[in-house]
Amino acid sequence: MQDRQYEIFSLTLRYWYVFLIGYIFFQCLRSTMYRRQNKDVRRQGGGNIAFMIVLLIFSALGLLSIRETTTIDLDVIVLAVLAAAIFLFQYFLLRLVFKGLDTFLMLIVDVLVVIGLIMLQRLSPLQAMSQVEWFGLGCIALVASIIVTTLIGDGRRLLYPLMTIGIGLLILPLAFGRVIGGAKNWVSIPFLGRKFGFQPSEFVKIILVFVFAIEFSLKRSFKERLPVFIFAVISVLILVLSRDLGGALLYYGLFIFIYPIATSDVFLTAAAGGAGVGGAILSYYLFSHVKVRVAAWKNPWANFEDKGYQIAHALIAIGSGGLVGAGLGLGIPYIIPASRTDLIFAAICEEMGILVGLMVIGFYAMIAIRGANIAMNAGNPLDSLLAMGATISLSLQSFIIIGGVIKLIPLTGVTMPFVSYGGSSMVTSFAMIGIIEGVAIKTYRASLDDAGDGEGEDE
Amino acid sequence: MDRFKNNIKIALTVLVIMFFLLAGYMGYALFFYGDRWFSSPYNTRVRMSSDQPKIIAGDMMDRNKVLLATTKEGSYKDSKTGEVKHGYYREYSKNTQYAAHVVGYHNEYGRAGAEALYVKYLMGYNNNIFERIYQKAFLPQERGNDVILTIDMQLEEYISSLLGNRKGSVVLLNPKTGEILAMVSMPSFDPNNVSNLEGDNLVDRSTQGLYPPGSIFKVVTAASVLEYMEDVQNWTYNCAGIQAVGDEDISCYNGESHGEVDLTGAMIYSCNGAFAMLGNEVGWKGLLEKSEKFGFNKNFLFSDIMIYDSKLNIDKNTSAAELGWTAIGQGKTLVTPFHMAMVASAVANDGVMMEPKLLKSVIGRRGSVQKEMEPKIYSNVMTEEVARTLKEMMIRVVNEGTGRGASVEGLTIGGKTGTAEVKSTKESEISPHAWFIGFAPAEDPTLAIAVLVENSGTGGRVAAPIAGKILRRARELGY
Repeated sequence: MQDRQYEIFSLTLRYWYVFLIGYIFFQCLRSTMYRRQNKDVRRQGGGNIAFMIVLLIFSALGLLSIRETTTIDLDVIVLAVLAAAIFLFQYFLLRLVFKGLDTFLMLIVDVLVVIGLIMLQRLSPLQAMSQVEWFGLGCIALVASIIVTTLIGDGRRLLYPLMTIGIGLLILPLAFGRVIGGAKNWVSIPFLGRKFGFQPSEFVKIILVFVFAIEFSLKRSFKERLPVFIFAVISVLILVLSRDLGGALLYYGLFIFIYPIATSDVFLTAAAGGAGVGGAILSYYLFSHVKVRVAAWKNPWANFEDKGYQIAHALIAIGSGGLVGAGLGLGIPYIIPASRTDLIFAAICEEMGILVGLMVIGFYAMIAIRGANIAMNAGNPLDSLLAMGATISLSLQSFIIIGGVIKLIPLTGVTMPFVSYGGSSMVTSFAMIGIIEGVAIKTYRASLDDAGDGEGEDE
Repeated sequence: MDRFKNNIKIALTVLVIMFFLLAGYMGYALFFYGDRWFSSPYNTRVRMSSDQPKIIAGDMMDRNKVLLATTKEGSYKDSKTGEVKHGYYREYSKNTQYAAHVVGYHNEYGRAGAEALYVKYLMGYNNNIFERIYQKAFLPQERGNDVILTIDMQLEEYISSLLGNRKGSVVLLNPKTGEILAMVSMPSFDPNNVSNLEGDNLVDRSTQGLYPPGSIFKVVTAASVLEYMEDVQNWTYNCAGIQAVGDEDISCYNGESHGEVDLTGAMIYSCNGAFAMLGNEVGWKGLLEKSEKFGFNKNFLFSDIMIYDSKLNIDKNTSAAELGWTAIGQGKTLVTPFHMAMVASAVANDGVMMEPKLLKSVIGRRGSVQKEMEPKIYSNVMTEEVARTLKEMMIRVVNEGTGRGASVEGLTIGGKTGTAEVKSTKESEISPHAWFIGFAPAEDPTLAIAVLVENSGTGGRVAAPIAGKILRRARELGY
């Protein structure tokens, strides 16, 4: 009967989770949409949302703590306490130290981390533990990124060092890399007796955001910009060659968005767009792995055992959940390939439901809206482009992976920001948020300076 | 900075549209395909495990509550390895073999047929939360719901005996409601033992077999002619047994010449030359448009049954000869017997094609009806007038034309025969597929049928008599 008791708990509690996440979702949505009536909103607190997130952590992990044992599994409770502590510490400390922080942006990101963490605990408790570590590390990266962003100045001196580091990082896995998930984009280095694996292409994203923002905030001729263009092309090519198609698409997308925003240069954007389409078609005919991906996307069922396997399993899982999901622990999301990393969205849809899946998409959309607003209000082109670059990177990445999982576009391997298991992804995503928040803080400080004693207008 | 802000706004709009696309596509895909993904045979979530299953599958019955499949506990033979195991298993009644493709099977290795498609009901996934919690809390073993199909096992058995060991398929529908009264595919199999099957027994020819339609396609051609060609009444054709169309010659069956015929005459004698000319006169556009109304080239997304899509390949580049061949059903066209039964039902039901229904009802624990069949219109294929005219023609086909073999004492039947030529190799002559589609009683049809017998001869000689017998038997049973 033990099993059945758990099943009844889980079946009932799924409505509670949908309610909690829905409550957080609509509070965040309201603050995002009615920003104009209340100009001071960025300084406004998150209300009881922080409490709701803690409630979500404890009620979901609490349920999972009685899943396999007759008594409460203390490891899971420890995990919950740790996660809640990191969240509260990060949230309240940052608000205290950095005035002008967009608190809702932080809450949206944290709720995504929590949803991912719950799913990871259900799929693989060991990995959930390291995910909490990555969460902590991500918070440190967040602070570092905020500080760098506020102190960057005009950043010209950084341009060439950054590009050099970027190319170096990208070449690293080609030289000593391991192949994971069909792509050679993984490096592991021994440190303090442990092996740390990481994905350099993740960190290069941050470099790209900085390089593009610094370069395109300057008024320069095509010839002067040539080194940066070459850097961009080489980065994309290296990823295509190492079979990291999702990463390549992401780098390319970042350029194709950020360049016209900065320069309004229709001609060169169209040329880059044409080159991208041409390159995509060319790579379809040149590389067999691209062809395989496209075939699997067109009809994943035709070749289920082999190529269509990933997408078909993801679709079955999404179709099996229903609106509120099968209930935590009652589905079998672990049979989805890469269920902890790239395809975690399918696992969320199966056990937590389509409604939560749709809300996750909504949370990413809100990150985009808030990020773009911070970019719009920023005081100078560099800040504006930094915030927008980070926003675009996060948005495109979530679009590429969710779109791939639901068969809207061909599935390419990128992680789901804040949700997927993985340190590189977590640290990079938080660094991106740090850039956006850094710009928000800078803008706020500037507005204080302008108005003397803090009654300044943002716009 | 203003230009900047503007650009950011545009970029944000693009991003937000992308997210709406994600959510919108997800909703759309789940709404239309969600149930299919769920009931996919690859979905191991809903596979009943033999030892200590969480939930056991409910019973499956025909429309007269004859038991077809049930879940039992005891010793059974593993369907792949053949070793004897103990636990829960699906047991199929002896006569289920007459409807094996309809019922399908459900074992450790997979699912098929209704056992796959209705797994949501059979395994209780449609139960509400209170029912599920009640079962978990108070019942010793959770059990899914019972499913009642629209088929009649008496008809299934009779049709199976008529086909004997010939390869083929028969589909019998109620054209007014779309209910599937019988669906047989031969050769069949025993769902209790699906291992070590030779050949293509598991293939459901009715819904998955793609065949050239032959002359039964002339019904579709005639419908488009009646709808789109002016002055059809005065159209005549002088048949000399062979007709040059474009750069090819199209001849009538056995080179027979039918003399001067009008549209009705061409239909009665199944005159190829006349229809090839008609196809070219009405043009590819008219023919394609009407065919698509009939469901050709459409992705059939019926809730109750999965049917392979019928294909009709004509466009503005199609040559006159190719169009001629298509109009008489010998082009690149491929159809399933099930779809052809739907074509017959559209003519019978005054031009309205109903959505096929196989699920009569779902019965929950303690006999509560959870879901009941509701007829639904699939497509308005043609006007009532056109349907009436076609009906008259098809009655005359059976009374005085190629379909005489189908006629039965005391029952007016309308129909059309088809003899689909198959490419013969040099060494051996392969007999054509025999087709018949039709309806009865002609005054107010309650039955629509499609009969296909593979490589057996002409439709008039082979398929029509089978159809006549089945229709008579169905009438005797009160359908």
